Amino acid sequence: MAKGIRDKVAIIGMGCTRFGERWDVGADGLMVEAFVEALADAGIERARIEAAWVGNALDDINVGNSALPAAHALRLDKVPVTRVENMCATGTEALRGAAYAVASGAVDIALAIGVEKLKDTGYGGLPLRTKGMQNDLWMPYGSAPGTFAQLAGAYAARHGIAAGDLKRAMAHVSWKSHQNGALSPKAHLRGAVDMDKILNAPLIADPLGLFDCCGVSDGAAAAIVTTPEIARALGKADPVTIKAIQLSASNGWEMQFGAWDGASVPNTRVAAARAYAEAGLRDPRAELDMTEVHDCFSITELVIMEDLGLSEEGRAPNDILDGRYDAGGAIPCQLDGGLKCFGHPVGASGLRMAYEVYTQLQGRAGERQRSKVDFGLTHNLGGSPFNSVAAVAILGRLN
Amino acid sequence: MSGVAESFGIRALGGYLPLLRLDRKTASRELAWSGLPMPRMGARAVADWDEDALTMAVEAARPLCGDSAPSALRFASTSAYFTDRAQSGIALDALAMPRTVRTADAANSRRAATSALLDALLSARDEIVTAGEQRPTQPGSAAQLAFGDGAAAVRTGPDAPARLVGHASLSHDLVDRYASRDHPVSYSYEERFVRDIAVAEVLVPVVRAACAAAGITPGQLAHAAVHEPVSGCWRAAAKVLGCAAPNHCEAVSDNAGDLGAAHALFGLGLALDPAKAGDFVLLLGFGSGADAMVFEVARPVLGAATMGAALKEGQLLASFSRFLSLTGSVELDWGMRAEFEQKAQATVLERVGRDMIGFVGGRDSTGSVQFPKSAFPVNPALSQVEVMEDVRLADLEATIVSITADRLNFSPDPPFDFGLVQFDNGARVLMEMVNRPAEGFRVGDRVRMRLRIKAQNRRLGFRTYFWKAAPLVRPVQGEG
Repeated sequence: MAKGIRDKVAIIGMGCTRFGERWDVGADGLMVEAFVEALADAGIERARIEAAWVGNALDDINVGNSALPAAHALRLDKVPVTRVENMCATGTEALRGAAYAVASGAVDIALAIGVEKLKDTGYGGLPLRTKGMQNDLWMPYGSAPGTFAQLAGAYAARHGIAAGDLKRAMAHVSWKSHQNGALSPKAHLRGAVDMDKILNAPLIADPLGLFDCCGVSDGAAAAIVTTPEIARALGKADPVTIKAIQLSASNGWEMQFGAWDGASVPNTRVAAARAYAEAGLRDPRAELDMTEVHDCFSITELVIMEDLGLSEEGRAPNDILDGRYDAGGAIPCQLDGGLKCFGHPVGASGLRMAYEVYTQLQGRAGERQRSKVDFGLTHNLGGSPFNSVAAVAILGRLN
Repeated sequence: MSGVAESFGIRALGGYLPLLRLDRKTASRELAWSGLPMPRMGARAVADWDEDALTMAVEAARPLCGDSAPSALRFASTSAYFTDRAQSGIALDALAMPRTVRTADAANSRRAATSALLDALLSARDEIVTAGEQRPTQPGSAAQLAFGDGAAAVRTGPDAPARLVGHASLSHDLVDRYASRDHPVSYSYEERFVRDIAVAEVLVPVVRAACAAAGITPGQLAHAAVHEPVSGCWRAAAKVLGCAAPNHCEAVSDNAGDLGAAHALFGLGLALDPAKAGDFVLLLGFGSGADAMVFEVARPVLGAATMGAALKEGQLLASFSRFLSLTGSVELDWGMRAEFEQKAQATVLERVGRDMIGFVGGRDSTGSVQFPKSAFPVNPALSQVEVMEDVRLADLEATIVSITADRLNFSPDPPFDFGLVQFDNGARVLMEMVNRPAEGFRVGDRVRMRLRIKAQNRRLGFRTYFWKAAPLVRPVQGEG
């Protein structure tokens, strides 16, 4: 394996808007909010940005194609701006582009920004696809909850878990994220919800109820990256660095070739193994202090805990119910509320996750602050369990 | 008979009814306040939202395809969706027949199918005639409850177990009912008038002529499949003709509804099923006149039992409003997600359409099958580009690997069941499910493939078709 980019890239500034139903602002305004905060945090002028990667996933309805919406909104003058899209892994993909540019020496300071303006559709859930190409001649057009709901039946079948027991563990995932979201000032959903309400919510896609599904939100998040040397020169004595960024994409075998039982997401496992190797983590269960994972649905987070190797196979429901991933648990997950409550503006989510880890690493998370955070992991999952793009990043400090 | 090979006739039959049934009492109770005269007895078959005349006609014809392609495929309907796109051509691809098979569409009359069948028989060719019907009706009209959705198909050929021994046709522009471009739902005239004229001017003379051509008297007919314009016509005509043969189309009307162009062919299956060697069976298609054919039965006809079996199956619709929605009689406000429209591109259909509607995947060099085909096989054991051998998946069973009932995305008849389906040959396909069992679908359930509408672009008036997975066994009425 190549040496990777461990500690070759420092994050010197981050910004994140309040997520939610942002009737007050468009995609351009969201980008400005996140960018202005990131610039101030980094303590640099806009003119220092030498290159930018802007991520947005659902181009039909919100931000628009190409570099131009970001270049215009942020008035990045003659800067090479690249738009990236990798479904729900888009935010991490933008960070990967900027980080690789710095690590390669192509530029000194780069911007990664993710944005999505979803609440202009007029309805709940993700926007609909209308282009009508070959896949549309045969592939069912199920919703996102419909595709992820199928993890539940397959997981229960693999591990012989009763549907009711699995449902309770899934409900705890959502309950925990609501608890955390209540302490997260920029979160979309800030109300705690009791278990009964979660368990008895209307079904969206069997067995996922309303509270098993994350919010669909407007929002943007940004990171400014540079070399550790420049970071120090800018006064960041112990900067946050990128320990690893890895990505794995399906080539179609899960949904076309009958060797997968549907009870896990193989790409997460691959991306995680590569990321642990790149970051030099030999015992992630002991070394990771927090995770921000792609909890688009409660069952997804449950399965991710095993895919990341944090729970033994078939033990995630027990670990979840035992509080292992609660705010006070051994490896808290979604301290900021996660996709579930912080919200999910698709292209921004990966960077929002990094924002929380970055904040925790610097001890700036206020009521949510963990006592010890040396390593934090972010995980994005684009597509569906059977046709996915998984991205795993690990952040820490340089020293 | 002159001009027809001695042994030429009907070699096999196929019948198809949608699973859903409306108990006519349910509807008449809902409409009792109106005082409108409604049929109260029996049930009508109701197409699912993604079934139409074409999909049902294909389902009826599937068992008739066998190992060899027919010389022609004829499609008959008065309710075909496309008016300038041959349904027979779409059916040809759905049935994975060679493009050299002649195709023809017959329309604009309820006897389109019997006329097409007679043409096939008189030309002494091995042909498939398939008829499907899903006629629009108006709420409150007797037709809405009297009509049904369904299909029937016939394969003709030599050495037939039911050979054509006589026939007659009569053209008579009797306007018993009509539908038109400006009045797409059926408009009907007084039943007493229709019965009197149809019996005296059409049924009696055409049956007499067909029997005379067969060299028999009407009294020698053992079974009949007569499409009556209104009930009681055959009883009246049979009295005049001195014929005691039961009309098996009555059971179709009672238990599935008037199937339009498919009605007589469906009844023919019921008539041939109990027929013994040496029996004479009458087939009569009605509409702007009539076609009458007399068949002499030599041995059981393959597939004749499918009609009776289909009549016994069914899942009752408990909700009258669901029936109104399925038949397009009311348009519910499904919200903004229902505004979704997907445009099918002709260029894409031209490239891959035959593989899609034929459900044709590919077998790689190791023998593993995948859908759709690709240059690089999905099989991880293979690393080179290769050309795959065609494998049709439509006629295979499979097993559900994962499943959900999706209630978020728009479906005209929620929930939207879909999941991964594993074929025994290795192919794995994400598929929609239809004919939801009372207890829902489960991982491990075995399924079979059914042709359905895949997508409907209402604004552009276009449909695409694909296959969906259905339970292997259908419930018998009253059992599920």
